[in-house]
Amino acid sequence: MTSVVAVSPARPTLVRAVCVREWREALGNKLLVGMTLLPPVVILVAGIGAVAAAAVNPPSDRDVQALYAAAPAVAGLDPKEAVQGFIATYFLILFMLIPTVVPLTMAIYSVIGEKASRTLEPLLATPVGVGDLLFAKSLASTVPSVIVTWAAYGIYLATVISLGSRAAVNAVTAPRWILAIIVLVPLLTLLSVNLGILISTRVNDVRVAQQIGGLVVVPVVGLGIAQVTGRVVLDNGAFLEMTIVLMVLDLVVFWLARLAFQRENILVRWR
Amino acid sequence: MKTVVRTEKLTKRFGDLAAVDGIDLDVHEGEVFGFLGPNGAGKTTTLRLLCALIAPTSGTAEIAGFRLGRDDAKIRAAVGILTELPGLYERQSAWDNLIFYATLYGLAPSVARGQAERYLRMMGLWERRGEPVVTFSRGMKQKMAIARAALHEPRVLFLDEPTTGLDPDAAKTVREFIVALRGEGRTVFLCTHNLDEADRLCDRIAFFRHRVIRIADPDELRAELYGRATEIRVMPKPRAEDLIRVQAVPGVREAHLENGSIVVASADPLRTNPLLVKALVDGGAEIAYVTERKPHLEEVYLRIVEPIE
Repeated sequence: MTSVVAVSPARPTLVRAVCVREWREALGNKLLVGMTLLPPVVILVAGIGAVAAAAVNPPSDRDVQALYAAAPAVAGLDPKEAVQGFIATYFLILFMLIPTVVPLTMAIYSVIGEKASRTLEPLLATPVGVGDLLFAKSLASTVPSVIVTWAAYGIYLATVISLGSRAAVNAVTAPRWILAIIVLVPLLTLLSVNLGILISTRVNDVRVAQQIGGLVVVPVVGLGIAQVTGRVVLDNGAFLEMTIVLMVLDLVVFWLARLAFQRENILVRWR
Repeated sequence: MKTVVRTEKLTKRFGDLAAVDGIDLDVHEGEVFGFLGPNGAGKTTTLRLLCALIAPTSGTAEIAGFRLGRDDAKIRAAVGILTELPGLYERQSAWDNLIFYATLYGLAPSVARGQAERYLRMMGLWERRGEPVVTFSRGMKQKMAIARAALHEPRVLFLDEPTTGLDPDAAKTVREFIVALRGEGRTVFLCTHNLDEADRLCDRIAFFRHRVIRIADPDELRAELYGRATEIRVMPKPRAEDLIRVQAVPGVREAHLENGSIVVASADPLRTNPLLVKALVDGGAEIAYVTERKPHLEEVYLRIVEPIE
């Protein structure tokens, strides 16, 4: 008998193996690659285009007054600067949507894809723990999404700094927003990923899972609109509260996903 | 003989249905153990229980020396399973599939590469190791899945319908692989509907429908149910006096003519057959061949399993 000793792999080894496999699988799926890259590219192109357009098209007096009323943060500035500052801030909020949309698709494909191709049973027959497997799958969807969002934000930041007015530059380089992108993006991504995994345990259709999971963007959009229009001020206190709420939500949703992601559940009850 | 799978009153219930109802098994090291039963009899559930994929409702089991429910991860490391469907990552190459699973079984990278090469060569897939599995035929995918199940050299290999849907060539490769595993001292737990295959490969067979109806060596079971029979082909055809001579041989329990042959039932064919041949030759008969008459395992299966509802 050949002497080979099988054991449970170390967690970092498992995570690396699952991530590499999932990324290879994702890169081979043109639809998934397209759906991953499309939102950041659209937001980036639209954001840069809007900021650039605001610089060459002066707003009417009536628009300026309406803008000052809706966005007190830019009130009193030169009209062109005010419009650019407003648009630059508005698109920053859209960047917060990327971590809710992109990883959701990846996470859904990660679980529903395995269900459809019947690869879960051999995977679960290995000595790996399902908690570790879930963690690895979460990370495999989270990391690319965070990188894509940060990269898109980096390009946006560089472009606005080189093209935009002082108000626009001030908006995109505000420490609060940079911190939001650094801290809130991973937290939102994790929330979206685990929500996607949780939904995928219940449905078999990628489109249905995306429709249900897509609801996660609603509070982000609502909060963003409220912030831009001055109804909510994202000051340090609000930022801290949001961070804490997201961390709690992340833990709760991961725990729920972990409950659903049990060997016996997967093999016997998942359809 | 060392036992590698032992269960005591192992039971799995889904609501009111007892899919597996108090089974007692003892499977020995180095044997090919057949597990036969109709669709929906609970064979896959039994396999999942024994591979620590699902938990029993009651009863106990010990697999490869590890206790079910207490050492589940160790059981999964010590066994391999071929599931009903291959379940391979089809966009990835054969090589990447095996290396991924070798990593999940905790094999060091160099060992993983060696094992992947060994099994790809054994299954005749080495030349196509770099190609995505989606380009493989059904038989190749099945062979890949078997290679994956055996990659970490499990002590017990659970195979669920390993040759279903395979062409004769691929099925032969799989059967040879099973024989080779037995030669290495591994235990193979074989679920199959292919009774001819079970007959050829299995040392013992369990007939199962939610519970174990019977465990036996297929030949011994035949002898018990049908007695041992010898078929003697006489050229050009047996005469009435040939039958009378045969019936007079000591040890013969019954003899009759059937399709140009004399079919003889005796308690001890090894002792009786030479006497039969001598009696016929002395009487001037020309014997074309003498062969052991085995009822097909299907007859045995139907006789044992069908009456149990």
